[in-house]
Amino acid sequence: MRLKRIAEKLKYHNLFIKMFSITLVSIITVAVLTWFVMIRISEQVFMDTFSITNGKIMTQIQTSAEAMNYAVSMTASNANISGEIKRFLTRGQFTTIEALSSHYKVTQEMKRLQSTLASYPIAMVVIGNNGNRHATDTTFWPPTYKGLNEHFITEQTIQSPRKLHYHIDMSTLDGQQNEQAVIVASKAMYEQLSGEIYGVLYFAIKEAEFKKNYSGFTSEGNDVLLLNRSGIVVSSNVTSKLGTTEQELLDYAKQIEQQGEKYINVDWQGKQYLILSTYLPTYDLYLVNTIDKRVALSQMLDVKTLTLIIAAIVFISLIIVFIVSRRITRSLTLLARQMSRVTKRNFGNYIVVSGSNEIKEVGKAYNLMLDELNEYIAELLKSQKEQRNAELSALQMQINPHFLYNTLASVKILVQQGNKDKATATINALIELLQNTIGNASEMITVKQELVNLKNYVFINHVRYGEQIKVNYFIDEQCYDFAIPKLIIQPFIENAFFHAFRGQADGYIYVMISREGSNLVCEIVDDGVGFDMDWNESMPASKNSSHFFSGIGIRNVNDRLELLYGEGYGVQIHSSKGEGTRIKLLIPVSVSKEITKT
Amino acid sequence: MKKLLTVLLASFMLLTACSSNTNNANQGEGNTPSGSNGSKQEITVWAWDKVFNIGAMEFAKKVYAEKNADLTVNLVENAQNDIIQRLNAGLNSGTTKSLPNIVLIEDYRAQSFLQAYPDAFFALDEFINPSDFADYKIGPTSFNGKQYGVPFDSGVAGLYVRTDYLQEAGYSVDDLQDITWDQYIEIGKAVKEKTGHDMLTQDPNDLGLIRMMIQSAGSWYLKEDGKTPYLKDNAALADALETYKKLMDAGIVKVISDWSQFVGAFNSGDVASIPTGNWITASVKAEAEQSGKWAIVPLPTLANTESSVHASNLGGSSWYVLNVDGKEAAAEFLKETFGSNADFYQTLVTEIGAIGTLKAAAEGEAYSAPDEFFGGQTTISDFASWTEQIPNVNYGMHTYAIEDIMVVEVQNYMNGADLQTVLGNAQTQAESQIR
Repeated sequence: MRLKRIAEKLKYHNLFIKMFSITLVSIITVAVLTWFVMIRISEQVFMDTFSITNGKIMTQIQTSAEAMNYAVSMTASNANISGEIKRFLTRGQFTTIEALSSHYKVTQEMKRLQSTLASYPIAMVVIGNNGNRHATDTTFWPPTYKGLNEHFITEQTIQSPRKLHYHIDMSTLDGQQNEQAVIVASKAMYEQLSGEIYGVLYFAIKEAEFKKNYSGFTSEGNDVLLLNRSGIVVSSNVTSKLGTTEQELLDYAKQIEQQGEKYINVDWQGKQYLILSTYLPTYDLYLVNTIDKRVALSQMLDVKTLTLIIAAIVFISLIIVFIVSRRITRSLTLLARQMSRVTKRNFGNYIVVSGSNEIKEVGKAYNLMLDELNEYIAELLKSQKEQRNAELSALQMQINPHFLYNTLASVKILVQQGNKDKATATINALIELLQNTIGNASEMITVKQELVNLKNYVFINHVRYGEQIKVNYFIDEQCYDFAIPKLIIQPFIENAFFHAFRGQADGYIYVMISREGSNLVCEIVDDGVGFDMDWNESMPASKNSSHFFSGIGIRNVNDRLELLYGEGYGVQIHSSKGEGTRIKLLIPVSVSKEITKT
Repeated sequence: MKKLLTVLLASFMLLTACSSNTNNANQGEGNTPSGSNGSKQEITVWAWDKVFNIGAMEFAKKVYAEKNADLTVNLVENAQNDIIQRLNAGLNSGTTKSLPNIVLIEDYRAQSFLQAYPDAFFALDEFINPSDFADYKIGPTSFNGKQYGVPFDSGVAGLYVRTDYLQEAGYSVDDLQDITWDQYIEIGKAVKEKTGHDMLTQDPNDLGLIRMMIQSAGSWYLKEDGKTPYLKDNAALADALETYKKLMDAGIVKVISDWSQFVGAFNSGDVASIPTGNWITASVKAEAEQSGKWAIVPLPTLANTESSVHASNLGGSSWYVLNVDGKEAAAEFLKETFGSNADFYQTLVTEIGAIGTLKAAAEGEAYSAPDEFFGGQTTISDFASWTEQIPNVNYGMHTYAIEDIMVVEVQNYMNGADLQTVLGNAQTQAESQIR
């Protein structure tokens, strides 16, 4: 039941649901598409700009890194040609005084050399094959001289003495923050001519200082790493990566180098990365710039706010669409409902004209249609009524020829019998009757006239059939001038004459006319045999038509009264076997001027 | 329709307002920590020597955190030379932005800063009581009658000796009590002969040994006014230099030229003794394998100088508060730790062997505790007793300026120049440079 009701309700909102869902879907689709395209395009733009600017930044980093390398290599070659340092590192035997002197001079020499590096916080350490050594600053490196000769860095340096090597000293890493990490550049000290190595020169710089070359360019998701040929991270703004091996990144860097591209897009560590790389030949390091696209974009492009704004726009437009389409369809729905209420034979349901212009027009047209329909129906009803009226009045006008010649036959008999007075009276009654029925064109007559007609008719019937049946009249005097349809009582008198007293020698018929409020009540009562009311056939039919006076029978009286006065007026019959019949005619009181004139 | 439009517009405004608000809020949050208005404060400390000075500061941080958790102390380690350079640069530039709140300055240099930039430092008279500290520390840390520094470690010197090497050479620790430098040289020769190890290390650029010698005789590079160079005719200095030359000529010295080598030399067992300040204790003890092999004896005296005693000083530094934002917090921090907390000094002695100069601290238990590393010697109380004997000298403003001259001239002297000529040259240079 409930479901059905809901379905019923939905039926009326069908249009709204369709309209709204279509707009809903299209708005959301448009919004999502716009969002998607916008993000995509700006992503592309950002990425392009990113790769260009970062490419320039890479060049800048390279320049500043190379400036530093230049200073370092200059210092290294100066150190290599310094006789004081060479003596300090090569001479085997020193007296204490000589040692003091040599140490002192080397200290001065190293200070002088270091002035080339003044702008960089670099500590210089020099170690000779003879075990002599000197450091300009030992606060951060080396942690200890122990094992430095066997150190990986030293070994590498001795293998290719003419090269300046850059390493990260693994022993300075703590694996987490790596705050103490130190980058060491090393170069062998060798005889210019023989190439014989007599010492190693180290340049130590805190990784934290070294990365100042580029740390200004990094940001979240935009990281710089320096990888050596084995993929070990020598320097990075991501301190935790120091000293780790990034084989994959190294491969990307090599790929970029080989293909001569500026950057590549890769999936790295499950994320989208833009990777730029430059090979720093002086360092023999790969300068790699990794850009986590998502993070970089999220800094540039506030996807969240954008999404929120679009969502808000969609939400607001949906509310507007909802309200507007609701308003449109509501008037339509209302119209449909009102229209559907116009069922058979009920054309009075006018529509309340409201809503949009179009709907108003439709409503107006519909109402106009109803107006016209109702008008036609009224006209039809009227014409049908008139037709019936005409029919009935035609019947009223008719005088049954049987009645005429039967009456005339009766007169002839009277004449033959020589009953001259009675014949004359009969002829007079007939004349008056005919005059009133056929001669008088008007349909309505006064009660007085009808009474005359009745008396004439009764007189004629007495002449024909004898005077066993008596008719008595009880008429309220004030009722004489009221108008009633012509020959409206006569059929009942007629009926009583011929049917009520079957098998009875004599009887009475009473005609009573009185006023009851605004109604005129005519009663025709007989004390005849009566009959059982058979409701299928409200009026007893008569087979013999010879005694009928006019075409209008009791059957038509009711129709006629109803036609003339509307429902509520008409004929009521009460009868039962052995108790006579009582017929009551109900007519509204009216006084016709025309009638009174005649 | 109009209504709808208004609503639409309003909601847009709201939306944009909201988003911009969040931005503002974020910026606001970002700004807050940098402002110093909140109850949370941050101070920065510059110091050198991770084990010793920084280590002491770490403990101070811990102690203070229990009292005032709102203060964040950032410790920045730099080489001493770097600190001096940066401090000079910062003070010269006149901006205080790059400066720390607290800085550690060696006593030798303190006056040069206090006199050159008296307004840059924050007087601490309201926070500490100078008479609570060892008397010889007050001279370098105060200026114009105002106390600027919180005296930290005592630079009281001693002679760290390897008992096992001495034993091998036929000496006991008792043989080294109250000796002269000449006797020391003899012992050194024996050690070198028997064990092959040098007696001590020497860096030609650092004349700490000479400074210890002259202070033990109550003399200094400068006269008592702290301004006039006192090199020529300084008998104690001449005696010290002669002794130094004897030491170098004896062939018992391992020449070095940097700190790593210095520490490396005794950690690796290359030298038999270290005549230096007590602050080296932590570095000596860093080589745990040598536990029980060390002892500390009083510093030798100059044989030809009567006033020379078995006590001297080397280094030693104090904390200074710079006159920048957060100075009150910094001063309060120092007051509660280095300035008055005797218990805190017990911790320092026990944990890192730092001997403070707060008099009250010496009465604590930790000061009289024996140290197993030094064969059960009550090193701290020994140092404390030597501290009392340290002759008070005025380091003045120019200790290091003269030291630089001396380094060169001593080099000349070592290479054969006449002592008096060398001192005369040095005097002339010093006079012209200081004026």
